[in-house]
Amino acid sequence: MTRKRGDIELAGVGMSYDGVTMAVEGINLKIPDGAYCCFLGPSGCGKTTILRMVAGHEHPTQGEILIGGENVVGLPPVERRTAMMFQSYALFPHLSVRDNIAFALRVRGMPKAERLARADAMMEKVRLTELADRLPAQLSGGQQQRVALARAAITEPRVLLLDEPLSALDEQLRVQMRQELRRMQRELGITFIHVTHTQLEAIALADLVVVMEKGRIRQAGPAREVYAAPRDRGVAEFLGGQNVLSGRVLTVNGTKAVFGGQEVRGIEIPLRPGLRLSAGDAIDVAVRRDDVELMRPEDGPPGPGVASVASRVLAVEYQGYFVKVMLDLGGQDGFTAYVPERRYFSNPFNVGDVVLATWDVDRAHLLA
Amino acid sequence: MTLRSALRGWLYVTPLLLVLVPFFVAPILVVLAASFMETDGFGGIIPTFTLANYAGVFTAPLTFNLYLETIKFTLFTWAFSAFIGFWIAYFLVFHVRNQLIAIGLFLVCTVPFWTSNIIRMISWIPLLGKEGLVNSTLIGIGVIDQPLEFLLFSSFAVIVAYVHQLTIFMVVPIFNAMARIDKRLIEAARDNGASRFDVVRLLVLPLSKSGIALGSIFVLSIVMGDFFVVKVMSGGGSASVVGAFYEDIAVLQYPPAAASAIVLTTALMLLVALILRTVDIRKEIAR
Amino acid sequence: MTAQPLAVPLRRGGGIARPARRPWTFYVLATAFALYVLGLYGPMVCIYILSFQDIRGGLVFPMKGLSLHWFVDLFTQARTGDVKGSFDRSIRLAVVVTVITVVVSFMAGLAFRRRFPGDTAVFYLMIGSLVAPGLVLGIGVGLGFTFLGLEASWYTSALGAQLSWTLPFGVLVMFAVMSRFNTAWDEAARDLGATPWQTIRLVMIPILAPGLVAVALFGFTLSYDEFARSLQTAGPLNTLPLEIWSMTLNVTSPSLYALGTVTTVLSFLIIGASLGAIVLLQRRRARRRPAG
Repeated sequence: MTRKRGDIELAGVGMSYDGVTMAVEGINLKIPDGAYCCFLGPSGCGKTTILRMVAGHEHPTQGEILIGGENVVGLPPVERRTAMMFQSYALFPHLSVRDNIAFALRVRGMPKAERLARADAMMEKVRLTELADRLPAQLSGGQQQRVALARAAITEPRVLLLDEPLSALDEQLRVQMRQELRRMQRELGITFIHVTHTQLEAIALADLVVVMEKGRIRQAGPAREVYAAPRDRGVAEFLGGQNVLSGRVLTVNGTKAVFGGQEVRGIEIPLRPGLRLSAGDAIDVAVRRDDVELMRPEDGPPGPGVASVASRVLAVEYQGYFVKVMLDLGGQDGFTAYVPERRYFSNPFNVGDVVLATWDVDRAHLLA
Repeated sequence: MTLRSALRGWLYVTPLLLVLVPFFVAPILVVLAASFMETDGFGGIIPTFTLANYAGVFTAPLTFNLYLETIKFTLFTWAFSAFIGFWIAYFLVFHVRNQLIAIGLFLVCTVPFWTSNIIRMISWIPLLGKEGLVNSTLIGIGVIDQPLEFLLFSSFAVIVAYVHQLTIFMVVPIFNAMARIDKRLIEAARDNGASRFDVVRLLVLPLSKSGIALGSIFVLSIVMGDFFVVKVMSGGGSASVVGAFYEDIAVLQYPPAAASAIVLTTALMLLVALILRTVDIRKEIAR
Repeated sequence: MTAQPLAVPLRRGGGIARPARRPWTFYVLATAFALYVLGLYGPMVCIYILSFQDIRGGLVFPMKGLSLHWFVDLFTQARTGDVKGSFDRSIRLAVVVTVITVVVSFMAGLAFRRRFPGDTAVFYLMIGSLVAPGLVLGIGVGLGFTFLGLEASWYTSALGAQLSWTLPFGVLVMFAVMSRFNTAWDEAARDLGATPWQTIRLVMIPILAPGLVAVALFGFTLSYDEFARSLQTAGPLNTLPLEIWSMTLNVTSPSLYALGTVTTVLSFLIIGASLGAIVLLQRRRARRRPAG
């Protein structure tokens, strides 16, 4: 059975609520069919607006939205073969679980016996059969979410849109439900667009992570790429896991340059092939937090190919399998090292100690 | 899409307008038109334009007295119903712990209003009259020798009747407003050392202002627009502006009556508009 | 400063936690509330009792005996007025007013969910209709009808006049009711493919049902009891409040009290039934138990 393709293309999409300020602008993105795509960004960055535009609940003031190759701008949600799962789930409080799930079929005029049978089949898939007659108010958060998912999926959409589906759940449940969502997506084989402000969630689930800020896309790519090679300071800071140092190029020698900023001096950084820099250019450098190794000053300067900076320990936070050590460096954003737990406790530091933060020069990463 | 939603809005509100226009706007206009006409003294209306009626309203000493009476009743009623209504609502919201009981008590307060207004008025006679229950009891236990005349057919009786009828109009919106106050604010205030009375004065009262305003609108409009409670309960001793309007109509003095009615209605509308300025009613009702 | 052992003797009760005691203000307010309720019911209770007045009794206490004489009198004597007829009319009028109020208020509530040009004007028009002295509007309608050569009657002019009073109330209640309706529900319905009418029928009305019953209740009570606006617009045949009014001016026997008792009982029955309906609706919603 041929199913319409669920690949999505956003071309020059922009939207303004009041005709003056743009909520989102210049959105260009291609999402392949069957991909799990996460839109990630802080509140107000426009990610939910884009989701609602794909769903048909908002209208772009500029640009086109193509699903399966056809422009859907102007089409009502039902004609787009998309379905949305709302942040608050929006389960109809007066209908049982079964009736909630069967609702979409009811409004299409499907006879009662058939639609209830379909609903039962869907409930099997999400393992809700025992709860069929319950009302939403009698369900737990995780159960409500499964109902919302089933209700949306029963229409066999080609794209499923999820608006912060896990925000209302507590930590443990959230991690559990992540796997549910992934499983459902694989089973249904359709494109999922999932909006979230939680970095770890996005990188855990998505084939494609789209990082947004202030109405624009900052970076889109596979999770590893966005996390390990953020394009600019904003993305790096939002994804977390990176230290960002700002400064200027001091000298350039072939494949390496020396960089200095307010807090650091004489750090070697690798140059990407094809990138031209000259002395005096302002740049940002990112170093992954788990790439930073801490040494005591008396254990000697580190070897060649290793950059190092001396600084004072500000705070230490135990995080289970690693220890966060915050250093007095890097201005307002701080400089943090993630030290594996066992290594830390074999040689722990005190607040106020002077340490050397070191990393392989090649591990540093230039930001735009 | 906004054009479509505008049309939808208008479509849905049309039935309402179909009632409001012919039964509110039109009658006001009719009365307004009549106020500018002349009476032929025999119940007919001569369609000419004259301001004589208004001149009559504003110059007659009777008008001044009538307005004074009406305002007097309005103020007293408003003060009592607001005070009583506020504390009743306060009790129901803050002192009654079980919500079901609170709603039950609330219903108990509304039940008397399921009887006819007029019946409730005449029900004062066996209670407050010279041979009524109150007087008989007081005489029986020896507090007084003669029955208290002022209890019925007096200004006192008028105000009692108004307050009896209208306090519920205060209780409902104030209850609504108070129920919306975040209890944690009260807790925080008490934590900071505020006495319960401070909490009422500084927290509850300001936050129920919109409820008081809404209730006041009801009370004011009903008292100022009343014509029969004042007549019956005062035994004819007092009158009200609308009462005089009613009398004038009865003797077919349409134009002067119309002028008086328009003046009162305008005054009332201005008063209500003033109150509405102090509180955003739409936000109040729609949370 | 060295720590001292607690020298203060333990309070009586041994410091066991006990439920919070009510402050003295509770008792004051509770008494005030009781007095208020007493005051509310007092006059009417007198009437109910007096309607069972003995045939020899008058309009005031003391009761000379108990009898149903005045009830009989009420329904049989022509001079006590056309109770049956006016009651009949009042009920019919109230039912019509109720239905129209619910439908029109619901539609207006839907309209006001979004802003539309002129919405503020309509809103203030509504407030104006609520606030305007009933008698003035009544006269205006009466005059208007005369001018147009139409005959005023309880099912035309009085109907309209009463609606000008009940609709603003209904719409205001609808505002409050609809504000509790989560817009996500109708977006979800739309997303799942429902047409606007299907959304109203399958989602909004069932969820808002208790609110609609409340509006119906309001509409009925306000119409049944409406006096000022009906006075000039009812035409030759009276509604019940108008009939009662003319009776108070003419009748001087406890059959008036009997009338009061009867109409109260009726109101109770009708309103009790509606409230029962709301409670039933709520119960039915919560009744569904887990299968198995």
